[in-house]
Amino acid sequence: MVRENLCILPADVAIDDEVVMTDREWVRSAQDGDEEAFAKLIRRHSGGLHRAVARILADDTEAWDVVQMAFLKAWQRLDRYNPRYSFSTWLYRIGTNLAIDLLRSRSSRERTHKAHTEHHLRLVGAGEGAGSRADSSEADRILGQIVGVLTPQQRSAFVLREMQGLDTAEVAEVLGCSPTTVRNHIFQARKALRREMRARFPEYLPASERG
Amino acid sequence: MDCDVFRELLNSYLDESLEEDRRQSFQRHLRECASCRESALSQDPSLLFAAAPEPVVSQTDVEACAVAVTARIRQQRLAHRLQRRRRPWLAAAAAIVIMIAGGLIWKVTVGGIGDSAAPGIEAFAEGDAHTVPPTVEVEMAGEDVRVYQFAAEDDDDTAVYFIVNPAMEL
Repeated sequence: MVRENLCILPADVAIDDEVVMTDREWVRSAQDGDEEAFAKLIRRHSGGLHRAVARILADDTEAWDVVQMAFLKAWQRLDRYNPRYSFSTWLYRIGTNLAIDLLRSRSSRERTHKAHTEHHLRLVGAGEGAGSRADSSEADRILGQIVGVLTPQQRSAFVLREMQGLDTAEVAEVLGCSPTTVRNHIFQARKALRREMRARFPEYLPASERG
Repeated sequence: MDCDVFRELLNSYLDESLEEDRRQSFQRHLRECASCRESALSQDPSLLFAAAPEPVVSQTDVEACAVAVTARIRQQRLAHRLQRRRRPWLAAAAAIVIMIAGGLIWKVTVGGIGDSAAPGIEAFAEGDAHTVPPTVEVEMAGEDVRVYQFAAEDDDDTAVYFIVNPAMEL
């Protein structure tokens, strides 16, 4: 069950199950052509999907385009939806695949250009300890600047697991690979991000290691 | 989770070897305890991303997304309906055009009516055993139309077919 759904509801297992049940009812109605039921699914899941895709792409605006495309594709393929999986896992799979395709279609030159133009951001104030001020916008800005060192699969696995709270089995389902591969993607991603952060954001090093 | 347990579990978290419920408790403590977060980040700065709370998504953006997607769905449904209505006319018109074209080809290759067709008729009338007149076949499958014209076996120039729906390629 994807906890990401619960941007509206409190994180609770019983309510998780309830969300899935309602999702299934809405999916069934949507399969019969009920657009309003599908709109309810969009209202419930678009926020969570957007957060994941925006972090994978490091682009907030482009992420909304991908979210819209993902829902359109989901509507067109509703007859292929397998109720064995939660609607959100299926939706994340569509959205993540679209995001990965988009990343692959971007040229490395564009990515380099973007990383350079965004590098002027100064994220941490002098004299403050980095650990006491971690917030989502700061983490997202830093991720946006260094995520280019990861492969599309590593990015997706890291974002879904580490930031969106999906478990390994769910990430494996979304990415269409084994849980072992997911763990390997996350391990490699963490290693690369650690290296980049130490090189580009020395304020996150212990005081004894800073130059 | 207290701070001692958090410190004990740090390496297991980084190795991806924590059980799911322990992992969630670890992440919760990472977000809530500033001193543990600072110490964990100094060990592995990539933990910054696990420590980040969920960004807030504007309800206006969510609503705009729902409106945009449902509008596209309605547009696609309407386009599909219009296409279905138009198709029989398109198929009929295409069939007429193809029949006329087929007739012209028949006239040029084999003969047909009028003086200009005489050599072709003569050739056929003389009992040329392996010369078979071309045929025109119109195949209607639902709303799709597929038309073939077959020339005589020894005539390489006039084998013509038309496909109205490109999805029906041979």
